[in-house]
Amino acid sequence: MRLRRRDLAGLLLAAPFTIKNVLSAAAQDDQALSYHRQAKIDWRQAAGQSLAIGLNKHPFTESLLPLIPEFRSLTGINVDYLILPEAEYFTRLVADLSQQRGEFSVIMTGPMRNWQYVPPNWILPLDDFLSNPKLTDPGWFKLDDFYPALIAANRWNGKTGSGVGEGPLYSIPVLEESYILAYRKDIFDQYNIKVPTTLEEMADAARLVKKNAGIPGIVARGTPGLASMGTGFVSGLKSYTDGKWSEFDEKLNANFHDPRSVAFTETWIRMVRDSGPANWANMQWYDAMEAFTAGQGGMIADADFFAASYENPAKSKVAGKVGYALIPAGAGGKTYAGLWTWALGINSATKNKEAAWLFVQWATAQRTLLNASLGYRNFNPSRTSVTNDPRVQEIMRPWGGGSYVTTVAKNLETAKVAWTPESERQRVGDIWGRALHEIYFQRMSAADALKKASTEADKILQEAGIKL
Amino acid sequence: MTTVRKRRQYRRQERLLPYLLLAPALVLLVGMLYPFGLGLYYSLTSYWLQYPNRFRFVWFDNYVSLVSEPLFARAMQFTLGFTLVAVIVQVGLGLAVALFLHARIPGRNVIRALMLMPLMMPPVITALMWKIMMASTNGGILNYMLSFIGVDPINWFGSTQGAVVSVLIIDTWGNLPFVALVLLGGLQALPTEPYEAAQVDGASPVAMLRYLTLPLLSPFLVLVMTFRTMDSLRIFDVIYATTAGGPNDATTNLLFMAYQYSFQWYQMGKGMAQAVVLLLLIVIASYVLLRLWNRAAENAAQ
Repeated sequence: MRLRRRDLAGLLLAAPFTIKNVLSAAAQDDQALSYHRQAKIDWRQAAGQSLAIGLNKHPFTESLLPLIPEFRSLTGINVDYLILPEAEYFTRLVADLSQQRGEFSVIMTGPMRNWQYVPPNWILPLDDFLSNPKLTDPGWFKLDDFYPALIAANRWNGKTGSGVGEGPLYSIPVLEESYILAYRKDIFDQYNIKVPTTLEEMADAARLVKKNAGIPGIVARGTPGLASMGTGFVSGLKSYTDGKWSEFDEKLNANFHDPRSVAFTETWIRMVRDSGPANWANMQWYDAMEAFTAGQGGMIADADFFAASYENPAKSKVAGKVGYALIPAGAGGKTYAGLWTWALGINSATKNKEAAWLFVQWATAQRTLLNASLGYRNFNPSRTSVTNDPRVQEIMRPWGGGSYVTTVAKNLETAKVAWTPESERQRVGDIWGRALHEIYFQRMSAADALKKASTEADKILQEAGIKL
Repeated sequence: MTTVRKRRQYRRQERLLPYLLLAPALVLLVGMLYPFGLGLYYSLTSYWLQYPNRFRFVWFDNYVSLVSEPLFARAMQFTLGFTLVAVIVQVGLGLAVALFLHARIPGRNVIRALMLMPLMMPPVITALMWKIMMASTNGGILNYMLSFIGVDPINWFGSTQGAVVSVLIIDTWGNLPFVALVLLGGLQALPTEPYEAAQVDGASPVAMLRYLTLPLLSPFLVLVMTFRTMDSLRIFDVIYATTAGGPNDATTNLLFMAYQYSFQWYQMGKGMAQAVVLLLLIVIASYVLLRLWNRAAENAAQ
């Protein structure tokens, strides 16, 4: 076994939480086991086999670790795991998948990641497992309990440039992440600032907050890469263009220099430069989230579940002072936010496919995901039954005076994966982010910088053989 | 009979001994040469982790394409410029600190011990610590302290110049003790006779520094310069932990670029070509500096 048996650092950091939850999990053990045993399958059909799981450092991962003994006693399958920080994790994963070593049996992935792994057949479609009565009890597992938009996001027909939501299911979502606007309700009320519904109003609001309250009117991710472009920014741009713009046309020609995209980018960058924090260009997602949580931002358009941090009174200076709204829309008045789910998939090179599926099924079961949300603030739930659980509602309901729950629900009606499926998404996002820096530092005009980004993106797609 | 055999056995063991003693070094050499050779080979291929089927031998295509890569020119410029400034600043300051500690000032043993602290810290931790202190708002400790002497908040990591200066400061903080300690060791090993003679002749302290200390110390100066040059050319941890090469690619050096190509974009072939170019740069720089060191050592010995 090439794996380290434990990620020591991760375990040490998580220790105070882990120990507590191992105890409480042990107390519930019999109850949980009897819940899982209600499934009409033979959990012990792969007893004695071994699995290795590749995990990204994440609250969901924290919630899973203390429960692994439960899986072991349920199935008799040995589980080894490796936890890595996100960037290292994905590099290690591609190294494993591309050489078909089968080091990891179960992997943590998600819709856009799958676009890299599906064309070379590195991960398995899960439909065969789902429809096999020997392996899955559909009445117990309840695939339709998951939000339809999230399941759709994890389906793909494998054709570059289209087909998300069609074709096989490649991974089962463990959480939902979409993008909404969070704002400082106390400041907006005090200075009579209108909650923005358009981009121009958003820029105005940012300016007013900065002028009146003396804090940055907007905080946002600014490091030049995919993570900054693919979240709040792309959600704003999609909404601004009424969902009609996408970064590639049907012939996979890059569209960053589209006039609507240029107009949006100009306003956005001006807003960030005039009313944003001085270090926008060096802000990762956690910098932006922490700045807002520390009361150093009037607005943030980013992941919805960051609310779990904003509203955590132990850590946040703004708990109870935040309002939630949809990302500002375009002329059509509708929001088109992006969407991401962390999800579990199966390596096609693994020797123990059935055991791997048993693990995925167990880890995405209602009870396991409920524990992740209750015990580890793994938000937002991917299963409706978890969202609707009274104890989860008790946590989420008070956020933003109730506006959080309604905003997230409304947002999910139109939110979908914002990207065109292709395997060079990381690179294309990095190219795009670099263009934003050229504009922010006034080295190039928005039109020129975005034109250059389109040319570079076209070149990469050709080099990778995706586009002829 | 038995003694003859024993002696023969002993002689055979004696013949094997050099190889046995060399073995650890040989293992180390193979352990270094294998990845090096592999990297060199990959730099001549189109190796792209994401597309194993497109693996081809492309000769020098990766090197040729570097010329038309705008980021390469910027990265090269930053690599060389940063190295030049970092070596001058660090060796200059290090010399000042060493001279200061060499003088008989009270409590210098305590200062010397304290100076070791940065050396004990992993560079990534150092960088993260500084990143927190260098917050761009007034909330950052560094900007707060600077406000007492009337300096406006500095945008450390959010501006291109600020980021370059920040990386330089962090790298200097971490490596100054090393430079100072080597030079202090050198100072303490200098012969005392020339100084006594100079004192008798009534030479000023400045003249003694200029005509005695610096020439005598030059082997040590060139030595730390060699170390610092090689390290500055391939600085990575500080950049990775603070600026990630930004903003606007202002702190992207060759090594960070190679990292991005190899591990973020999975273009191993191109990334390896960039790493090989960096390696050549380091080899040339250290060759020049080592010749300089030889000459300095000869001169100092005379």
